[in-house]
Amino acid sequence: MVEMGQVSLHVDIAGLHMKNPVTVGSGTFAAGREYSDFIDVSKLGAVTTKGVSLHGWPGNDGTRIAETPSGMLNSIGLQNPGVDHLMEEDLPWLNERGATIIVNVAGHSVDEYAQVIERLENASLDAYEVNISCPNVDGGGMSFGADPALASEVISACRSRTNRPLIAKLTPNVTDITLIAKAVQDAGADAVSLINTVCGMAIDANTRRSILARGIGGLSGPAIKPIALGMVWQCYKAIDIPIIGMGGIRSGLDAVEFLLAGARAVSVGTANFIDPCAAMQVIEGIERYCVDQGVSDVNELVGALEW
Amino acid sequence: MAILQRECEILSHEQLSGTTWRIELSAKDIACLVQPGQFIHLRIPEFEEHILRRPFSVFQADSNTHVIRIVYRVVGEGTRRMTELACGDTVDIMGPIGNGWHLPNGARRVLIIGAGVGAAPVYELAKQGQNNGMDVTVVLGAQTHAELVFEKPYLDLGVDVICATDDGSYGFAGFCTDAALEAVDAAKTAGEPFDYCAVCGPYPVMRIAASFCREKGIPCEVSMERRMACGIGACLSCVLDTTDGKKRSCVDGPVFDANEVKW
Repeated sequence: MVEMGQVSLHVDIAGLHMKNPVTVGSGTFAAGREYSDFIDVSKLGAVTTKGVSLHGWPGNDGTRIAETPSGMLNSIGLQNPGVDHLMEEDLPWLNERGATIIVNVAGHSVDEYAQVIERLENASLDAYEVNISCPNVDGGGMSFGADPALASEVISACRSRTNRPLIAKLTPNVTDITLIAKAVQDAGADAVSLINTVCGMAIDANTRRSILARGIGGLSGPAIKPIALGMVWQCYKAIDIPIIGMGGIRSGLDAVEFLLAGARAVSVGTANFIDPCAAMQVIEGIERYCVDQGVSDVNELVGALEW
Repeated sequence: MAILQRECEILSHEQLSGTTWRIELSAKDIACLVQPGQFIHLRIPEFEEHILRRPFSVFQADSNTHVIRIVYRVVGEGTRRMTELACGDTVDIMGPIGNGWHLPNGARRVLIIGAGVGAAPVYELAKQGQNNGMDVTVVLGAQTHAELVFEKPYLDLGVDVICATDDGSYGFAGFCTDAALEAVDAAKTAGEPFDYCAVCGPYPVMRIAASFCREKGIPCEVSMERRMACGIGACLSCVLDTTDGKKRSCVDGPVFDANEVKW
């Protein structure tokens, strides 16, 4: 018999110790402060911060979002105030609260990714997630993550600058995601996170206009969960490094499905917009599942899909 | 100020015109905390395919009874679904959210322009001005007399009310911005010019009002609306361009100094 409070929820992502297998999707949680009315950020497995570039980016013009069936498209464009702001304002705030911190790193060039990591090496944080998958920026992002050679180049450059856990965040907008996953594994990534958003478009027939100012945006939310689960499972069979699974997770059961498919941890993203307490509900739901199933250690679920 | 999340019972829900509805919620402590111009972020129940919350400015809030009222216009599937909510149903709301109106302490004559359902977020502001002994003029605009649903609550406050209908079926015949401009000029001629203006309504109404207020030197605030996701400042969906860079309409606004907005 296992009871609530007795389940071991700790997971280890290549040296990143998470007290439970739940983090938040980069870009859905800022750097946590906005959620502090609702969540104690130290209770999350980790806080993954919004993508940060060297000197900050203004992001895209509006309209930046569109609601679509069981999901939403975004075209924020990695608006961020730059790495110095993150180090001066956000990381101290997260550290004061005892949060485990994954910093999502963005760049327009291989060198920019590397420089952001160089700056951050002096800061207190627990892991890097390298964003080679944002579909909403002109230089960088998905253009690196859709090509095994370029993905490898970015990860190698980042790897040479740090010994901290390095996670490559992958895009689903490729023919075979396992080729990218293998490439970043070979380039020294300690883990992969997937999936970033799926490219898509929303049109208002009445005005005959695209809803998003840039036309194409990134689809997230429950609509993409089957795509994400399928890709996690494919990657689990293809690579040896841990996977952080994400895409449409709203509940503990959703998260458990990702663990069964092979993810060692999960991210809650768009669900944070629906309910700011969503990530906590997912943690509780995972524990409840474990209790109901007599699972004493959440790691038993990883890749435990049966046929 | 903390943002709260509460399950709230619907106390009444009434259709005011063809497209306009008023919903009354038992909003608990949110009703005591909400300031004029702030909004709530409402999750429409049993609406799984449409995942995002909808932001609604508060029309009236009563800290004694804990009741808040919102008035909304049916514009899409979400608001259409909202019309099916019944008394006794509960809805999940977050609030109060945002940066409301800043009525200057020393203001003597206050002009408020509310176009369409834009007349809702300025009601508590008009009340605040009236309670502080200011001379408050409210210009209400609607396309037709049937859509002009806010006249009575403003008359009941005891403020001066000027109604304008686009089709000329009631009050001033024409746009509310033209009616407001007449009021501005009349006030100046009478030697008692307006010294604060608040505007809420469609983008062109706010742009035009902001423009003549700037010309005439009247401090002006506007309530900006953008497509919004989280409503708490995290997602950066609802940003608008200002003289101070991109700002979030949810928590940096929705009320902005009109001179700060890049129109």
